[in-house]
Amino acid sequence: MTLLLLLLLQSPHARLEGRVPTAALPGLDSLIEQAVAESLPTEPLVQKALEGGAKGIPVPRLVNGVRHGLVQLRDARAIVSRATPARASLDGDVAAVAAALARGLDPGLIERLLSAAPPPEPSPGEPPGPVLHAAADLVAHGFPADSAAELLRAAQRQGLHGTRLLDVAVAASHELQREGGRTPVEALARVRAMLPNVPVASPPHPRTVTRRPGRGS
Amino acid sequence: MTVIDPRVQEALDGERDPATLPPELREDYARLTGAAALLGAAPATSVADRVMAQIREIRREAPAPRPPNWLLRPVTFRLRPVWTLAVAAAVAAVVFLPLRESATPGAEEGVAQFVGHFPGARSVEVVGSFNDWQRGALALRDEDNDGIWHGAVVLPAGQHEYMFVVDGERWVADPLAGRYVDDGFGAGQQNALLIVRP
Repeated sequence: MTLLLLLLLQSPHARLEGRVPTAALPGLDSLIEQAVAESLPTEPLVQKALEGGAKGIPVPRLVNGVRHGLVQLRDARAIVSRATPARASLDGDVAAVAAALARGLDPGLIERLLSAAPPPEPSPGEPPGPVLHAAADLVAHGFPADSAAELLRAAQRQGLHGTRLLDVAVAASHELQREGGRTPVEALARVRAMLPNVPVASPPHPRTVTRRPGRGS
Repeated sequence: MTVIDPRVQEALDGERDPATLPPELREDYARLTGAAALLGAAPATSVADRVMAQIREIRREAPAPRPPNWLLRPVTFRLRPVWTLAVAAAVAAVVFLPLRESATPGAEEGVAQFVGHFPGARSVEVVGSFNDWQRGALALRDEDNDGIWHGAVVLPAGQHEYMFVVDGERWVADPLAGRYVDDGFGAGQQNALLIVRP
């Protein structure tokens, strides 16, 4: 844990040195400085740069990939600001929305999901990641975006929050895959009828588990 | 996106007799049930156990060296009681600190389990945002050489992107991940996406 904290406290430049081509460093530094100047989270950009370095991506594509990440963060903050104007946008919220954009979720749908948290908010400040991932899962399985959002809102109204919303998406895709020609609309209707009692995903078996390998170890 | 044939899904759910599946689907069914069994079962021994067993084997095979005389001479330590406490605390720290690194997830952590089918591979590792995309941090195992590589690790709850690296050079998005995201580098490649639940 101490090692992790020390590594996170390192400057982005220090974390990237030796992990990305030297020729990429000036461009990456500049993009990260822009993110800092705009009060955007920098960790997603550092991660993207480290990923590009590890994969051996050529310098121009690597820098472009990080630039694309910066654009997504800007778009994400604009969405968060519009959807929850009364709340200061948190780095985690912006990063979660940027991740949803990267998964191809429609910006308008993201905004609707963020602004449609059932009043009163189930737990103020609840991270938006799970509901956005649940929506992206449903859309990836071919469900219409608006119907997916409506199902998730119904689940929230029934008291499901956080990662339980992912179970809703799993239940819908299971219903869709059953033989008998079930349409997406029928599958969503069946899951809606189950709410809030969708099956809970079982956790992996813990006995064979090792602790996370430390960053940079 | 991995899509399971609905007939296989029905067999997995116990709603259809697997014997009624067409031969090509029966193979899918067998592979999925095999992977599911693997997820549920712990390996007979841990890596640590097997390493220690090999060390003990080497010790048994090696001729016992004769210890030098100075090791056999009795030595008397004189220790003040206050130092005894300090030594005890130091010993406790050495013994118990590694236990904090055990595999029990904390409140904001969860278990991530990785399984991949790579017949003939010499090595498979997982590289991702949870280890700063650093190579060599999380190797998968295939103890019985059946081509199914697996491993599990405690990670912070939340989203993690990752890839398998096969034989140190081939980057592969986990075919069983179910969630993928474009890696953003312009070649249309995707990372697998993992959501760890607390």
